[in-house]
Amino acid sequence: MNNSLPRLIDGMIATLRREVLPNLEGEFARGQAIGIIYMLNSIQRRASWSNRFFQEQLIAFSKASKELQAMAGELPGAPLPGVTNIPDLPDEGALEARRNAGDEQLCHMIDWLAERRDSLPAGVVAQVETILDNYLNRQLKWDIETSAKPMFTEISRGRED
Amino acid sequence: MALQAAIGDFLSKDAGRPIVIERLQKFPAGFSWITYGVKLRGHPRADDMILRIGPPYGLFAPYSAMPEFQSLSALEGSGVPVPRAFAASDDHSILGAPFFFCERVAGDTPLPWGGGDGAMNDARRESLAADFIDSLAALHNFDWRRTELEQWDPSITVDNAADRQLDFWWERFQRWALRAHPMAHRTFAWLRRNKPRAPRVTLVHGDYRLGNFLEQDQRISAILDWELVHLGDPTEDLGWAFLPQYRGGTRMVCALADEDAFLTRYQDKVGYKIDRAALHFYIVFSLLKLALTHMAAARCFEDGLFNDMRMPAMATQIGPVFRQIAKIMERSS
Repeated sequence: MNNSLPRLIDGMIATLRREVLPNLEGEFARGQAIGIIYMLNSIQRRASWSNRFFQEQLIAFSKASKELQAMAGELPGAPLPGVTNIPDLPDEGALEARRNAGDEQLCHMIDWLAERRDSLPAGVVAQVETILDNYLNRQLKWDIETSAKPMFTEISRGRED
Repeated sequence: MALQAAIGDFLSKDAGRPIVIERLQKFPAGFSWITYGVKLRGHPRADDMILRIGPPYGLFAPYSAMPEFQSLSALEGSGVPVPRAFAASDDHSILGAPFFFCERVAGDTPLPWGGGDGAMNDARRESLAADFIDSLAALHNFDWRRTELEQWDPSITVDNAADRQLDFWWERFQRWALRAHPMAHRTFAWLRRNKPRAPRVTLVHGDYRLGNFLEQDQRISAILDWELVHLGDPTEDLGWAFLPQYRGGTRMVCALADEDAFLTRYQDKVGYKIDRAALHFYIVFSLLKLALTHMAAARCFEDGLFNDMRMPAMATQIGPVFRQIAKIMERSS
């Protein structure tokens, strides 16, 4: 992959829209192609090449750098590459798992509060609900901000005009 | 061809005479049941039928054909325009999945997201609105207690109707969710706390909206898609029909009637006043059901049951629907 991810997705969308869609027979098939365009638009707003992909490349670079540095005495004046510290970044799967675990804990908290709200002071209940609602609103706002414009009309009609 | 032959065999046995299947046409619409048009010869009741098959990979699978078949049978001759139901079975050995046959009713389907319906003129809109409201009132006036539908839930009452549906959708939420959704828990908790007493227990369509009826000559010729039919609080159908998603870009309920006009006509037909708090409850519940249905789409696609791109597209709407719920709950607190 030697192109940027956003440009690759732009290219795929343009090809589908200009070259594939006009030549597709049938409303359903065209609707599916528009569904692919919509999902590519959605992916573009959230996706990047994975940390794991770059980390493996950095590990290889680091190994080569170290080996070349070890030969410095035999290579006077050579532009030896510096050894890069590889940041210990979690991969996307680990981040997603942490997000999910956090949400699961909040689900338990919400269920617990629902069962006991009558035995807790009203002010405490209101305060907890405000904290939860602020969290939920922030998450939902972010979800919507990073979503593509829906194309349901176009998908069901099988055309974009 | 195997399906066509199996259909011929089943209908021949059912009718007690040889039935010839002349043509089988699959319709592209729908996410759940697969719908076919069946042209046939030799059947005593019709030469054009609709066959609906509930596939194991459908949105709400596993299916039973019985609720839809029994409700259509019970409603035949009532004030609710429905296709006549001919035959049904949940026996997978016949057509590979539960299925039922019904009458093919003439008409087209105006779609809430199909565009172009902004051009609906007043005469057409008013005529459809009257039919839409009157049919719903007729459904909610229908005396199901003297039919086989009574066996669906003999212990349902006006006091437990809301809980029955909350339990039903909670169970589906557990089955469909791919991850934890605190907003769903928050909404369920709000609904449990604010549940209304039903004005009566009626047959509830479950998906009563623009897009689920046929129109011919500016009249509703049939109410379709009864797969979510159940016994419950009639206000549930109003809550669903009132959703912003089905307003077709207008401010009117299902792009047909403004809210006050809708309620005035409906109340006049059913003979009681709609509790606004109960309607509010069922609008929130309907939005939650919509979000859960989007979760079902995400689950279907994720499990690789089928690759229809409408599924992940639907799944992108879980967040926006939850945001609508949050705003409504914010306003009402």
